[in-house]
Amino acid sequence: MKHVFTFDPDRCCACSSCMIACTDQNDIDLKAGEKCFRKTYDTEVAFKEGGIYCAYLSTACMHCEDAPCIAACPVGCISKDSDTGFTIYDNTNCIGCKSCAMACPFGAPRYNGADGKMVKCDGCYIRVKHGMKPACVRACSFGALDCIMEEEYRNSGSDKACNVLIDQANLRKKEALRRWR
Amino acid sequence: MNKIAIIGFGAAGYCAAAAARKCDPDALIDVYTDDGRGPYNPMLATYYVKGAIDYEAMFPFGSLDEIEERLNLCIYRNSAVTGLDGETKTIFLSDGTKAAYDNILISTGAAAFVPPIQGGDLPGVFKMRTAEDGVYLKKLLDSGKIRSGLVVGASWVGIKVVEDLVEHGIPCTLVDGADWAFSIAAFRQTAQRIHRDLEQKGIKLAFGQMLSHIEQEKDGRITAVMKNGCRFTADAIAICIGVRPNAAFLKDSGVAVNRGVLVDERMSTNLPGIYAAGDCCEAFEIQSGERKNIGLWFNARKQGEVAGANMAGRRKAFGGNALLNLAHYLDYDFISIGDVASCRDEDQVYEYEDDRYYIRAVRGEKLKCLNMIGTGESNGVVKSLFIKCFENNQAEMDMTSICHLKGSGFPDSFIDFIGRDQH
Ligand SMILES: Cc1cc2nc3c(=O)[nH]c(=O)nc-3n(C[C@H](O)[C@H](O)[C@H](O)COP(=O)(O)OP(=O)(O)OC[C@H]3O[C@@H](n4cnc5c(N)ncnc54)[C@H](O)[C@@H]3O)c2cc1C
Ligand code: SF4
Ligand code: SF4
Ligand code: SF4
Repeated sequence: MKHVFTFDPDRCCACSSCMIACTDQNDIDLKAGEKCFRKTYDTEVAFKEGGIYCAYLSTACMHCEDAPCIAACPVGCISKDSDTGFTIYDNTNCIGCKSCAMACPFGAPRYNGADGKMVKCDGCYIRVKHGMKPACVRACSFGALDCIMEEEYRNSGSDKACNVLIDQANLRKKEALRRWR
Repeated sequence: MNKIAIIGFGAAGYCAAAAARKCDPDALIDVYTDDGRGPYNPMLATYYVKGAIDYEAMFPFGSLDEIEERLNLCIYRNSAVTGLDGETKTIFLSDGTKAAYDNILISTGAAAFVPPIQGGDLPGVFKMRTAEDGVYLKKLLDSGKIRSGLVVGASWVGIKVVEDLVEHGIPCTLVDGADWAFSIAAFRQTAQRIHRDLEQKGIKLAFGQMLSHIEQEKDGRITAVMKNGCRFTADAIAICIGVRPNAAFLKDSGVAVNRGVLVDERMSTNLPGIYAAGDCCEAFEIQSGERKNIGLWFNARKQGEVAGANMAGRRKAFGGNALLNLAHYLDYDFISIGDVASCRDEDQVYEYEDDRYYIRAVRGEKLKCLNMIGTGESNGVVKSLFIKCFENNQAEMDMTSICHLKGSGFPDSFIDFIGRDQH
C-alpha cells in the first residue's frame, strides 16, 4: 500500500493550517526551540527581467523513492516503511552529525536543540497504516495537500506528487515569466 | 553459477554483497575480511569515545553471523587477501590458499597514514581509523591519566579527536603543517573564523608545523618535535595526517592503481570482472571530470551498491562524486563543496557573514568552491544546487530551493550569486 503525497501549488495560500496540525500531531514544542516538520512559504521572488512571483508552498519530507538520506546516515537511523513507502527514522543512535541534511535536497531533516538529534516528517505513517490521512492533509481546507495510494495516483493522471513538486514550481515560474514578457 | 568474491567488508563491501544478493539469489558470494567482526563505520569511532553511542552502534549492519545468514554469504574471517591475479581472477591468501572467481570486488577501504618516524610507536601515540583505535582512545581517556593532548593534523579526523579531548575536559593543542586548518577545503578567510572559534573553546593552535619525530620525556610524557625545532609536549599524541587507500596488495595484479584503484562509472577497473568501490578507489569527480579518491560513507555505500549490481549482471552506474566535506564538531558545522585549489585571483568572490552564518563562494564561468559555517540544515539544498550547476551551468534554480533559502535566512545576494542570471 504505497502512498504518495501530492501538492497542488495552485490551491495553496500558505495559510499554515498544515503546520499547526503537524506541530500538534507530533507534540512539537516550539517554545523549547523545536521546529515543525512542515514549513509553509509565502515568498515574493523578484525576477531579474522584472516582475515578482508570489510563491505559496507547503513542504516537508518528500519521501523520495530512492531517498539519499538513508545511505548517508552513518548509524542507520533512517529507513523505508515497507507498508507506506514513507521515509521513517529511529533516532536512538543519532549522533546529530547532519549527514542526512547534507544528503537531502529539500532541507527536510530538523535537529532538536536539546540533544541535537534528527527529527523529520515521517508521513504520519502510523495514522496512514490505520486508514487515516496525515495530520497536515486533514487540516488543509483548500485541497492543496493530499496523500493517496500510489495506484490511485497513477490512475488519476496527476503530476502533482511531491517528488515532482520542484518541476511544478519551475513550470509555473516559466509561465509567470512568459505572461510578464 | 556466478562466483563472486568481495575483498574487504566495510560499508562498500557490505552494500555490494546486499545488492548482488538482491539481483542474483543463486550467486555464490564469498567475502574475505581481515577482521573478525561485522562491517563497521570508522567515522563512528570518535563518537564511541565521546560516549554518544555504544560499541555495538558502530556496526550498523549487524554482526558477521547475522549478515552471513541474512544475505546467504560465505564469510572468511581474519583472512586478508595478499595478492590478486587479474588475468585469471584468482585471489591469494597468506596461508597459500587460492581461489578463482567470475567477479571480484576490491573494497579494502583506506588506512590511517602514520609516517615511519622515530617515536611513532611510543605508548600514548595513536591514530584514529579503526574500531580498535576508538577502544584504545576511550580506555586512555577513561583512565584519568591523560592531562593534556596533542593532535597533529587539523583536518576532518584530527578535529574529531580534539572534540573527544575537549569533551573529556582535557586541554589540547592542534597543530598542522599547512598554514591553516582544513587547508585542502577551506579558504584562508573561512579558516580564520574556524581558528577564532576553536580558540574561544580553549584549544591552542599552531600552523606551519611539520612533524619530524616523537621523543619520550623523563617524566613519562611525550614530545612531538617539529622540523622547525618547535616542541609540543603532552600525555597523548594523535597522528591524523591523512589516509592511504589499501591497495598495496594489488601490486603485480594488472589492476590499474593511481592513489586508489581506478574505476569507471560502473565501478569496473581496467580488467573485466574486477570492480572496486569505497575508500580504496578513485571514481569520476564531476567538477574536474577526472578520477579522484573521495572517502565518504555515502559514496562507499552507493559505489558498493552499484558494483554489487553490476557483478550480478545488471547495468548500473554511479552518478559521480563531488569534492564535499562536512566537519561537525563541538556544536559547529563547516561544509566545503567543490575544489578550493581550482580558484584563481581573477575569479568572482562572494562573502557574507552574520551572527549565524559565514559564507564564502567563488565562481569563474561556473561555481568553483563554496565554504559555509553554521548552515547545517540547509547544506543539502545548497549542495544539490551546486552539483546541478557543475553538471549544467544553465540549470534552473527551482522555486522550492529559493523559498527554502530565503526562509532560512540566506540573503538574496547569495541566491543571486549561485543562481546567476537565472531568475
Ligand atoms: C575519524 C573518521 C571520521 C570520518 N568522518 C566522516 C564523515 O563525517 N562523513 C563521511 O561521509 N565519512 C567520514 N569518514 C569516512 C568513512 O568512514 C569512509 O569513507 C567509509 O567508512 C569507507 O568505507 P569502505 O567500505 O570503503 O572502507 P572501510 O570501512 O575502511 O572497510 C574496508 C575493510 O576492508 C578491510 N581490508 C583491508 N585490506 C584488506 C585485505 N587485503 N583483505 C581483506 N580485508 C581487507 C579493512 O580492514 C576494512 O575492514 C570518516 C572516517 C574516519 C576514520
Ligand atoms: S505528514 Fe504528519 S509529520 Fe508529515 S508534515 Fe504532515 S503532519 Fe507533519
Ligand atoms: S529527508 Fe530529504 S532525502 Fe530523505 S526522503 Fe525526505 S526529502 Fe527525501
Ligand atoms: S544527524 Fe542523525 S539521522 Fe542524520 S545522518 Fe547523522 S546520525 Fe543519521
